Amino acid sequence: MAELLWALGALAVGLGAGFVAGRRRPAPPAEVRPADGHIASVTRLAGSLAPVWSAQIDSSRTQMESAVSRLTEQFAGIVENLDTVLASSAGALEDGHGGTFDRSRSRLGEVVGTLDDALATKRQTVAELRNLQTLNTELRQMSGEVGAIAAQTNLLALNASIEAARIGEAGAAFGVVADEVRQLADHSLGTSERMAEKVGRAGATISAILGHAEETADREDRAVAGANAEVQAVLDDLQALVNGVRDSSGDLERAAVGIRSEVSQSLTNLQFQDRICQVLEHLRDSVTRFAETVAEAGERARADAPPIDPDEALAAISASYTMDEEREAHTSGRAAGVRESEITFF
Amino acid sequence: MGKTILVVDDSASVRQVVSIALKGAGYDVIQGSDGKDALKQLDGRRIHLIISDVNMPNMDGITFVAEAKKLPAYKFTPIIMLTTESQEEKKKQAQAAGAKAWVTKPFQPEQMLAAVSKLIAP
Repeated sequence: MAELLWALGALAVGLGAGFVAGRRRPAPPAEVRPADGHIASVTRLAGSLAPVWSAQIDSSRTQMESAVSRLTEQFAGIVENLDTVLASSAGALEDGHGGTFDRSRSRLGEVVGTLDDALATKRQTVAELRNLQTLNTELRQMSGEVGAIAAQTNLLALNASIEAARIGEAGAAFGVVADEVRQLADHSLGTSERMAEKVGRAGATISAILGHAEETADREDRAVAGANAEVQAVLDDLQALVNGVRDSSGDLERAAVGIRSEVSQSLTNLQFQDRICQVLEHLRDSVTRFAETVAEAGERARADAPPIDPDEALAAISASYTMDEEREAHTSGRAAGVRESEITFF
Repeated sequence: MGKTILVVDDSASVRQVVSIALKGAGYDVIQGSDGKDALKQLDGRRIHLIISDVNMPNMDGITFVAEAKKLPAYKFTPIIMLTTESQEEKKKQAQAAGAKAWVTKPFQPEQMLAAVSKLIAP
């Protein structure tokens, strides 16, 4: 680097001397001047260095571009995966676990409802059996009353027969009637006793059926109540499970959204690569142009032509810039910050 | 089915950044790596908006806009130039070629989406 600076200094001195000499007096035509060797040396050095520097710049630019592109692709992959996970997670909660749970609750409710209906029908049957039992009791009482009436009628008919016999011939016909009445009363008594016996047997059967029905109804009551409690417990457990999954899923979703946002922001920040690549491309072009300018300066010095105009050369380099910060750095000689994005609508 | 946007940039990372922002907002995205490649993408398919860089190899963005506008199917397709370029002269050239907006890099995704939604409904 020190050699290069020395050579560039010599070139500047040589160019300056040539320029001054060119203005004041014509140069000796075929004379080999001491500066010519320096100029040739610097020109050759610049011509050799420019491609090396350009290659170094291109190598750096290519490596950075390649690395940032890979990084960007990986980040983009992460964002896409997160989007997939988020969509899948939302779908699972809406249509998966939550929907399955709601459907299970509804179907179990229907099953328990069917059991409740069957139990209600059974309770109604038991109530009707109780009514039948009450009616049977009333029938037994009535048959007892019929027996009592028959016994009383029998007694009255007996008295009538006795009275008819005491009257003699005149009461004979009445005595026949009284005997018939007494036979009817006996017959009624027998019928009422048979009826009482049948009603009693019917009552016993009804009681047996009622007792069995009440026992099974109680058992089914307890079974359905137990089933209800079990179903509710299972539903509560499932609800707790779904809530847990939903909470975890919500936490994961929030984390995924946060990560997605940060990765997206990182991607946005990677735009620096595009800008740096352009700066490096312009720098590479400037290096090439500088070597050409040095060569041209040497040619001019050797031909005693007017020296190159540095301002013109710098302006040509400046014209190749595309970004404001490049122009700013070019003008100020200091690093320039990145400008805010601007939007213009036509 | 979202609206389709063609993103043209020679920088793969810029294409990814723009694509992610647009996809996140519900747009479908196709990509072109320079003007020439992007013209091949304009094969009659329905494209609602184009976002193009300016300085690209093979065919620059302003030439691409002019060429795209010659195709009847894309004559009225809005085009946003997304570039590091800040020269007024280039802006005028882009406007003359048929671009509707000029956005300078580095951009924030929200800014880009705002510009897009101004030109096409989401």
